Amino acid sequence: MSALLEMKEIEKSFNGSPVLKKVNFSVEPGEVHALMGENGAGKSTLIKILTGIYPKDGGQIYWNGEPVTVDNRKDAQALGIGVIYQELSLIPTLTVMQNVMLGKEQSKFGFVNARKMKKKVTELIEKYGFNVKADEVVETLTIAQRQTVEILKALSEESRLIIMDEPTASLSAKESDALFGIIEQLRKDGVSVIYISHRLEEVYRLSDRLTVLRDGVREAVLTKEQIIPGDVVRLMIGKELSEATASNSLRKSDAPVRLKVNGLTKKGVFHDISFEIHEGEIVGFAGLVGAGRTEVMRCIYGADSYDSGTVEFEGETLAKQITKNIRTGFGFVPEDRRNQGFTPLLSIEKNVALTNYDTLAKSGFVKAAAEKKLGVEMVDKLAIKPGDSQIPVGNLSGGNQQKAVLAKWLSRDLKLLIVDEPTAGIDIGAKDEIYKILESLAENGTSVIMVSSDLQELLRVSQRIIVMRKGGIFTEFSSGRITQEDVLMAESGILTKEGKADE
Amino acid sequence: MRQENMRRLISVASLVILALVFGFTSNGFFTATNILSILRECGITGIIAIGVSFVIITAGIDLSTGAAVGFVSMLCANLLYNYALPAGLIMLISILAGTVCGVLNGFIVTKLRVPEFIATLSTQYLFRSMVFVFAIREMGVITNKKITDPGILIMGGSINGIYLVTITFLVLAVIGQIILKKTKLGTYIYATGANRKSADLSGINTDKVRWTVFIITGFLCGIASIFEIGRIGSATTDLGTGLEFEVIAAVVIGGCAFSGGRGDIFGTTVGAIFMAVLQNGILKYNLPTAAQLIIKGVVIVIMIIFDSVYNQYMQKKIHEKANEEANEGVQTAGGEA
Repeated sequence: MSALLEMKEIEKSFNGSPVLKKVNFSVEPGEVHALMGENGAGKSTLIKILTGIYPKDGGQIYWNGEPVTVDNRKDAQALGIGVIYQELSLIPTLTVMQNVMLGKEQSKFGFVNARKMKKKVTELIEKYGFNVKADEVVETLTIAQRQTVEILKALSEESRLIIMDEPTASLSAKESDALFGIIEQLRKDGVSVIYISHRLEEVYRLSDRLTVLRDGVREAVLTKEQIIPGDVVRLMIGKELSEATASNSLRKSDAPVRLKVNGLTKKGVFHDISFEIHEGEIVGFAGLVGAGRTEVMRCIYGADSYDSGTVEFEGETLAKQITKNIRTGFGFVPEDRRNQGFTPLLSIEKNVALTNYDTLAKSGFVKAAAEKKLGVEMVDKLAIKPGDSQIPVGNLSGGNQQKAVLAKWLSRDLKLLIVDEPTAGIDIGAKDEIYKILESLAENGTSVIMVSSDLQELLRVSQRIIVMRKGGIFTEFSSGRITQEDVLMAESGILTKEGKADE
Repeated sequence: MRQENMRRLISVASLVILALVFGFTSNGFFTATNILSILRECGITGIIAIGVSFVIITAGIDLSTGAAVGFVSMLCANLLYNYALPAGLIMLISILAGTVCGVLNGFIVTKLRVPEFIATLSTQYLFRSMVFVFAIREMGVITNKKITDPGILIMGGSINGIYLVTITFLVLAVIGQIILKKTKLGTYIYATGANRKSADLSGINTDKVRWTVFIITGFLCGIASIFEIGRIGSATTDLGTGLEFEVIAAVVIGGCAFSGGRGDIFGTTVGAIFMAVLQNGILKYNLPTAAQLIIKGVVIVIMIIFDSVYNQYMQKKIHEKANEEANEGVQTAGGEA
């Protein structure tokens, strides 16, 4: 048995903390090999080492049995490793053919031979039965079609191994099916696929083998017959941890309803979303990448528009305008902290003031003393370090930046705070502080919606957990003790525990 | 219809409408002489606009073209007056000097990493200052001297009523369009403007592409300068002032997007003619200068607002169409859950 790819005892550390500990990984020719693990398990680090984006600290990569070095993307390409990126990397205004052949045009004296290139690309398209045409402009294609263009690009480079990272994250069911068909074709053609996904049923259906990583260690390699969804989830999380981090008892609130969302729909993004949030409640929103959680929250906040449905706040229909909603008592902590959460060059004081000029300014003039006072107050209240309200937020650590973002809202009389991945990229100490801030907010009557992909965090902080899946609400956990396994299974569309399916 | 063709149709339609408006409201618009004169007027703007289209398609900008023309023209006038160099040599020097301007812009942008806007705004000052360095002086006073060399003056002339500048413009436009659509460089220009990161990852040297388009623009400024002095028969210190805006307006009206990756030389040619028709038509009304400028300004602003609105509308439509196609499966997705 000769493997196409073998990675032996791969090691990698960042700032002294090991991310991959002597990981072995191999792929056979024509094999679909799934790579699974929780966020931070080391999947993407392993892939980045394979594609030459990160250097490895130890271990050896073999390609067709020969030891090879992969120092950059070109090396990987030359070996025959193609990557389909999560954020697609095509040129929108060029045609499919131009994109596929970009950088490797067939040309004479600088003039491209369009006919020859078109023939080559069309042949590839026909061979695999793809649903695109060579002279279509990429920006007019659907996400799924663009993905097939990426696959075409890899195939035109004679790739023997194609890496797909969460390829179905933004595809509809029908489109996903089409993709699975393509993967089937690739397999028949002897092309290997490394398939990274959180969706258990896909992995179950597609893969010949499956490797589970946990905390930088290869936990298991399973063959098709050995793949049992429940077992895989347990392997990903680890038994002890799962017990230790189970939720406190979830509960329904009997406080008055503050936010009532009914049948909210945005075509192609999410559909028929209905839920209620009570006063002083922390509700967690769980789901995989592409489930539509962030999109729903942005619509409720007024940042995006939706097609149908209603949002009521304390019994009244909510405006679709951010400015008005902030006045009503909304706060929003976005997922992309650096680009949307704060203004890096401005001081903590000025960042906090940005959401408070309704009280801090009079006829357009800023009351400097009040502004300063509020800044100092918030730095003290949230223990933002270093304790100087004049420091630009961009110079703070991740945790303190997030506290500064929270300060923008906590300085107001807040009724509903939406936080999206509030502790992503933040160290454990600061995480705890942020949980305490959210909890004390809720105790004082503010409702909190927390979108998170961190299962431990969801279980620790939430009073109820709503699980979204493929643009709809899949289930809600609102009583008893549940574990990470329960949430992860629900996210992937497998239900074991009570919890009412929405449809 | 593909978006590109739709946009072209709109450019042509707005040009036709503008021409019809002037045709019906003024005397002597639709005469052969006037049309040839319009085609002459659009020549210089058009020649430079070819290069600036390339720059704008790479998502860049060049604000220095007017000053570059001023500098090159003055340099040539000076050499003609002081050294009486032969016309052929002057033309060569003109093209070389223009190209050097482009090389400098490209160097500052790609090697020194100065954003295009600020880089070419500064070189605009630099080139304008060079005008005064080379200005012809008599007893210390800048003097406007007539150019007498017949070889240069002939460049302002015509063959059978068709001006040389018009012919040159149209030939260069065809070449420009071929470069954009049929060569590797053309594909790379679009790729650089539409998604530079991705173009880099595909192995395209996007800095080289960006430098090249500045050099082409400089080269074209050199050619334009020959026709400029040939036509006027002298070089003043304010020659080419504001020309860069005329050029950029033509390019944008022609459908090149500031965000990059969109537009072509066909559109730019239409845009250049549009600008010339506007200028020519307004003059026919015998209005005071202020009123002329106001009409010109308002029309340009309307065209540019329209372009922006149209682009947003098309983006939205494309997005909706893609979503619709993707959603044929959404019901099943819901049902499955």
